[in-house]
Amino acid sequence: MFLRIEKGSAAPISRQIAHQIASLCAAGKLKPGERLPSVRELARDLGVNQNTILRVYERLSGDGLLEMRQGQGTFVADGARANASPGQRTRLLDELRQIARQAKSLGLSSEQIHELLSVALGELDEQAAHDLAENLS
Amino acid sequence: MSQVSNSDARTKYAIELQGVCKSFRRTQVLSNLTMRVERGKTFAFLGRNGAGKTTTIRMLLGLLNRDQGEVRVLGLDPTAEPLMVRAHVGYLAEDQQMYGWMRVEEIVRFVAPFYATWDHDLALKYLREFELPLGTKIKHLSKGQNVRLGLVLALAHRPELVILDDPALGLDPVMRKQFNRDLITHLQGEGRTVFYSSHLLYEVEPVADEVAILDGGRLVRQADTETLRRDVKQFVLDRAALAAVRDDMSVLELQRAGEDVAATVQNASAVRALLDREGIGYRVNDLNLDEIFAAYVAGKVDDNAGARAAAGELAPQS
Repeated sequence: MFLRIEKGSAAPISRQIAHQIASLCAAGKLKPGERLPSVRELARDLGVNQNTILRVYERLSGDGLLEMRQGQGTFVADGARANASPGQRTRLLDELRQIARQAKSLGLSSEQIHELLSVALGELDEQAAHDLAENLS
Repeated sequence: MSQVSNSDARTKYAIELQGVCKSFRRTQVLSNLTMRVERGKTFAFLGRNGAGKTTTIRMLLGLLNRDQGEVRVLGLDPTAEPLMVRAHVGYLAEDQQMYGWMRVEEIVRFVAPFYATWDHDLALKYLREFELPLGTKIKHLSKGQNVRLGLVLALAHRPELVILDDPALGLDPVMRKQFNRDLITHLQGEGRTVFYSSHLLYEVEPVADEVAILDGGRLVRQADTETLRRDVKQFVLDRAALAAVRDDMSVLELQRAGEDVAATVQNASAVRALLDREGIGYRVNDLNLDEIFAAYVAGKVDDNAGARAAAGELAPQS
C-alpha cells in the first residue's frame, strides 16, 4: 500500500490518509479481505502518530470500508467497493458544498457548475477505460 | 479547580504549570503561563525564537526558578526536588554540546553512573538501532547522529517523561523525518510522555497529539492540530458587513484589500453560522498550519479594540 503525506497542506493528515485508503479500495488496488499494515507499522512507515492511524482505521471501519478484527489486524471489508456509507456521503457533501460555494463566488451559474462536474466525470471514465485497456494488453 | 496536584498523588498530568511568571531583570519572559500535559501524550511546544520555550523547559528541570506560580513535573516541584525530577526525566538540550573528544561508547559509560536506573543493555540496543558508530569521536558525528546520540543518553535510564528542546533544529528534511520515526517508535510506542519544542508547526503535526503555542511569554492556544484546523479559518467578506459581526468574531488577523476584509478567526464554526444567519455573503479559506501559526504569533489586529476595527481602522494589508 503506497500512501503519500503532504506536509504543510490545508488538509489534515488523517483526512489525507483516509482519502487515499478509500481511493485505493475504490480503485480495486486494495481488495476485499486484504490485510492492511498494522497501526504500528503504518505509523512508522509514514512517520505519523499511532493515534492518528488508529483514528483513521476506526473511522474507515465505521464507514464499513475496513474491518478491524481483534488480535488479527485490519482488513478491507467485503463489499468495500459497494455504495458509499452515510458517513462518507456526509463528508463528500461537505466538500461539494465548499466547492459549490467557491464556484458561486467566481460567478459561475448552477448550470455551468453542473457542466464542469460532467466534464470531470467524463475525464474519469476515459481514464478508467484507458487503464482497463492497458491492463488487458 | 485549577490547583496543582499534591506531590505524592499519581496525577493524570506529567506536567502542570499554573500562573507561572518569570522575568530577567526588567524583561518579562513568561506571563501567567498555565498549561497541562497529560501522561502518555506527545506534546509539542511551539513558539518563535525568544517566545519563552527554553526558559519554560529549564524551569521544568529545576535549572531555573520561577518568580511566581506553581510548577509540577511528574507531581514533583522541580525547584524543591531537582534531583528527583532529573532522575525521572530524559532531557535533550537545545544544540546539546557533548565532549567532542570522547568516543560514542565512552560518553555512554560516562553518563551512566549519573542515573540509578540506567539500563546499559538498552543504551547499546539504541546505539545499534540508531546505527551510531561506537568508536567514533563525537566531534566527527553528523548533526543527525548527534541528535540520536543525545536521544540515547536521554532515554537509557527509562524516563517516564522526555523533554526535548528543539531537537529537530538544524536537521535536514530527511533527518527530520527519521527523527519523527524515532519519536514514534521509541517514545510513543513505549507509552512515554514527550514534551518537545519547535518553531515549525507543520513539522510537529504528524507526530504530536497536542500542541501549545507560546507567544511573547503567553500561552495563546492549546489544542490538537485537527481542532486547530477546524477552528481557525480565514473569512473574506465585504468591509461594510464586518461591523455587524465583528464583536462575535475571535479575530487573530485582519487584512484589508479594497472593499474586502480578510479576517482569520479562531471560532470558525460560530462565525460561519452567524454569517449564514445574518445573510452576509462570504468566502472561507482553509489554512495550512504555517498560516495558522503565523496568525497566532504574528497576526496584526488589536483584539481588544473591536470598535476601532469596526470603525474601519484596520491593519493595512501586508
